[in-house]
Amino acid sequence: MINKDIFKIWAPVDAKWVDWVRPVPFISIDDELKTYESFNFVIPNVNYIEEKSVDTAWFVDLPSYDSVAEGLALASKFGFRPIPIYNGTNEQQGAMANVNNQTIEVALVWGAYVLLKLKLEKDALPVFLLDSNRMNRYKMSPSVFDNSWDIYHQDIPSAEYFLNNGIKKIVVRGKEKIEKDLSKIFYGFQKKGIKFFFTDGYSEPKEVVIKKPKRDDD
Amino acid sequence: MRLISIPKDKYDEYRLNVIFDCYKWDPQFLDNNTIAKHVLVITKEEHEELMKYTESLDVETRAAEEFLNKNLKFAKKLALPKKLSRELRNMKNYSPDKHVRLMRYDFHPTIEDKWAISEVNSDVPGGFAEASLMPQAAKDVINMEELWHKNFGDILTNAIAKKVKVNGTIMLVHCTSYSDDRQVMQYLGDKLKKMGFKIIYAAADHLNFKNNEAFSILDGNEGKVDGIVRFTPLEWLIDIKPKRWQGYFDTITPSCNHPVAIFAQTKRFPLIWDLLEKSGLKLDTWRELLPETIEVKDAKNKEGFIYKPACGRVGEKISIKEACVEGEYEKILKDVKKHPKKYLAQKRFNSKPLVSDEGENYHVCLGSYSVDGKHAGYYARISKTPRIDSNAADIPVLIEGGIAL
Repeated sequence: MINKDIFKIWAPVDAKWVDWVRPVPFISIDDELKTYESFNFVIPNVNYIEEKSVDTAWFVDLPSYDSVAEGLALASKFGFRPIPIYNGTNEQQGAMANVNNQTIEVALVWGAYVLLKLKLEKDALPVFLLDSNRMNRYKMSPSVFDNSWDIYHQDIPSAEYFLNNGIKKIVVRGKEKIEKDLSKIFYGFQKKGIKFFFTDGYSEPKEVVIKKPKRDDD
Repeated sequence: MRLISIPKDKYDEYRLNVIFDCYKWDPQFLDNNTIAKHVLVITKEEHEELMKYTESLDVETRAAEEFLNKNLKFAKKLALPKKLSRELRNMKNYSPDKHVRLMRYDFHPTIEDKWAISEVNSDVPGGFAEASLMPQAAKDVINMEELWHKNFGDILTNAIAKKVKVNGTIMLVHCTSYSDDRQVMQYLGDKLKKMGFKIIYAAADHLNFKNNEAFSILDGNEGKVDGIVRFTPLEWLIDIKPKRWQGYFDTITPSCNHPVAIFAQTKRFPLIWDLLEKSGLKLDTWRELLPETIEVKDAKNKEGFIYKPACGRVGEKISIKEACVEGEYEKILKDVKKHPKKYLAQKRFNSKPLVSDEGENYHVCLGSYSVDGKHAGYYARISKTPRIDSNAADIPVLIEGGIAL
């Protein structure tokens, strides 16, 4: 398989929601593909939901490959379609960077083989996958390559698209809270009637109210 | 000029190839697919006319910016940000022959069967890979061998190679957090690397300047830099701390583009044309193609004018009512009222849409590049609304008839 094949497994042309799969981490997969295939991540147990709700989309926002593994857990157990929306680039060769985006590439190759074994419905509900390390802006020196990144409103479907496709609720599975960049987008969604829930993976999702983003967050 | 549909059974494969082989890493914007299902074909006559217009505009623009660089008092009315204005006096050593001058003029067909231009992307035009590789990807699926395209990437990299020392180090300066910036730089970097250059992908603050020469401070890539290709807009650059960006203005390291590009980048450039013409400069082609442009305050009781931000990019904040999303139009008008000097008023032209085989109307923005004064190819976008913005789709441009370089 080459990178295009891996991408096609994550984004089969006839499936719903796959138009939002970001190609970025798939682009540089090629050369090291053989090495990637030898990695073996573990699919975690998911105990914080009992059954999926047809009006609910999910966002998994966990560090690095954990987000891929958790997304695949939701796919395996409940039939969600994982939609990777990672958008970070790799650093200049030889430079220190503040985010390791390469591990995501490895996890996506591994995940493709997992997905091949699953029979997901064409119109399966989406679970969008994000790396919560993306906003690691700390630079120990100005010479560090800053490949941190944010998710923007243009990277996911609009509130109208979600609503028109029967999605009235969004659950975020994160570490502690809904991250700043997502909150900025979701605040607008909330105003349009979408409800939000959060789970840290230990307890059932609880409804949350997204606060208006501060001006300096703009 | 016409649209040719990409055969439905070949589109998915074409889209995949455009993403992976043509550096199109942002194929989706909100709910819109940004890879068009059509090809834009222009006639030989249209190509020759556009080529002529582009080169004439380029002569006028470069003469104007060189004049302004020596006569900064004329630039006052451009109302450039203060921090930026302060640096302009440091560009006295600018020598056009030492740098690569890249611009893209955005043409639109009008209902009067003429061309109008909406702007020149003078500072950091994009669309490199779309202009260079997408046409071939399209040709592979439409089976029209007689059509051809001008390879922008070849022209730009050859121009860079003429001015940067053989096997030298080139820093591709961009916002490293944005993958849509990186895709533009990656295409260029891969091409330049094949030509023997050492490529450094880095951010604007990874350059330091000593004795007007550029040096990389990027971890593991420290040392002298022989060429700079900048994709970070100047008005963003000046917000970067620490202030190493000052060196960009008086560097002798070959740059593409040198900050002298700012004079034409601001959409307020037409507001000083009267002054420039009084000093003997010619702007006839600009006058012919750009709709009437005036200060916001002068447009108060005039019909048919729209507002545009002086530093706007990709169609953002342009007050075309029917193209605005809910609440956007009112927001723009409020901002115009608050900051009139950050905007200008421009007579709206009537874009003539092209009709696809499927009977749908598409408005076209046909970007025409110039590199060091010569026409260098096309980058086009189509949209169902007259405002061509980030929701528009990239469309490859192919040319009919014999090759006219």
